[in-house]
Amino acid sequence: MTAILRLESGKRVRGSVILAVVFAVLSVLYFSMFPGIQEEMVVFEEAFPEFMFDLFSIEQLYTIEGFIAAEIYSFFWVLLVAIYFAYVAAGLIAADVSDRRMDLLLSTPVSRESVLVQKVAALWVPLVVLNVAVPVIVYLGALAIGESFDPVALAMTHLLSIPYLLVCAGIGLVASVLVDRVRTARGTALTLVFVLWLVEGISSVDPDYEWIGAATPSRYYDQTAILVHEEYALFDAGVLTVAFAVLVGIAVLVFTRRDI
Amino acid sequence: MSVIRIDDLTKRYGEVAANDGVSFDVEAGEIFGYLGPNGAGKTTTIRLLLGLIGPTSGTAEVLGADIRDRRALTEAKANVGYLPDTLGFEERLTGRDALDFFARMRGDERREEVLELFEPPLDRRIETYSAGNRRMLGIVQAFMHDPALVILDEPTSGLDPLKQERMHAFLEDERDAGKTIFFSSHVLSEVQRVCDRVGIIREGELVALEDVETLLKRGGKDVRVQLAEPFDEGRFVTSEMIDVETVDSTVHFTYAGDPAALLEHLVGFEIKDVGIGDPRLEDVFKHYYGDEREGVPAEAR
Repeated sequence: MTAILRLESGKRVRGSVILAVVFAVLSVLYFSMFPGIQEEMVVFEEAFPEFMFDLFSIEQLYTIEGFIAAEIYSFFWVLLVAIYFAYVAAGLIAADVSDRRMDLLLSTPVSRESVLVQKVAALWVPLVVLNVAVPVIVYLGALAIGESFDPVALAMTHLLSIPYLLVCAGIGLVASVLVDRVRTARGTALTLVFVLWLVEGISSVDPDYEWIGAATPSRYYDQTAILVHEEYALFDAGVLTVAFAVLVGIAVLVFTRRDI
Repeated sequence: MSVIRIDDLTKRYGEVAANDGVSFDVEAGEIFGYLGPNGAGKTTTIRLLLGLIGPTSGTAEVLGADIRDRRALTEAKANVGYLPDTLGFEERLTGRDALDFFARMRGDERREEVLELFEPPLDRRIETYSAGNRRMLGIVQAFMHDPALVILDEPTSGLDPLKQERMHAFLEDERDAGKTIFFSSHVLSEVQRVCDRVGIIREGELVALEDVETLLKRGGKDVRVQLAEPFDEGRFVTSEMIDVETVDSTVHFTYAGDPAALLEHLVGFEIKDVGIGDPRLEDVFKHYYGDEREGVPAEAR
């Protein structure tokens, strides 16, 4: 039975499209800026202390790869899109429980496991919409200003971000089955994702504390390494995929045992 | 054959027992009324039966499936319809889209037939629905897959009187066609009107289990009479009048006898106004079931 998957997928379309449009607007802004400020970026990099760049893992701002990695991916993608996934996932179960939709849904011959898995599977919509629209916009934007991207590196930037975004969704999902109030679940999830991102950034500044970041998802996804150095950390992506599976497993365990 | 078998079902929230050792059976082909004031634990029993919450102790069977056996219960739900007290739909969907969704979940072979009786505006989004339209959409989804058992939680709240009456007639037809209806309500007259057998729940405990005829006798009427002039109270009050309260020339009492006899009796007085209605459920409990729960049939204990 895929009725829930169909319904949930439909619910994800609007938000995904809005996010893609926001991204398109943002890209136009950055691409129109880049030719004018390319020269200044060298000065800019010298003017700021090094830890500022470590914090956001920024390098080579004077190249289009470094600039886009810094301006678009390190903030917009790694933080905002991640928070979007955590936010949406945090509502998947909690919203239906608090609005009593879950009562009707579970009165049908469907297992709780199936409900949860179908709802998570519906995240294919934002994953596909964003991971198709955004690289196309970035690629065309670069061509438009006379620069160019390595299409493989760009594709890998997106492909390897999928496990990362799913882990953020997994964090939201666990919040969603544990907390009954939607706003609390969403607040918890996006705070957690933000704090984890911050911890990873700060811990990477000082080698003595770098190990702390090992427990954060953003440690396993480095957009600058992919775009600037064309380093594809497949093992890290595997770690994230396993983490996602574990989070979904925890969510299923909690959800199948709790009172609605 | 028992369609629902409830055995010492208990659900505690800390110190509070929402259901405390509830036991009864619902037989195939009957309309079973589950009567109790708001907050008595009716919805808790229903949510236990559907596996939405787990019992603290005891158990129940729905269409032969133990509610603690999640897999068996999930399968049994293909043959169960459910109308919750609070209807949670996807608000952005139209009524038709919502029914299409439930059709994909468990079928809709009787959709058109039920829609002839209850007609929510299918092309409008559910967020624009009135309480009555929401209830009608809920009724359609509960019956459209032609289930053997339908569990209704306060099914007529929000419906206008005409639709309420239509619902009652529909339930009787369904019962006659062999369906089993579990009908939860806090309205005594409604349960008396439509049910075959009644379980009464109060503060989480089943206090009575009886045929509706017995309940009809016990229910009585809530009567308020305003007399035109000072009257002889000794002549006015009969043995069928309970809890008589007199203020000036107005008498308020519960009448436990035959309504026709009451009317004949009243004709003998000069009356300015009279009101006859259903007694409050709490009054019925007070009069007939007391706090000691005497007279509870052994099977209900």
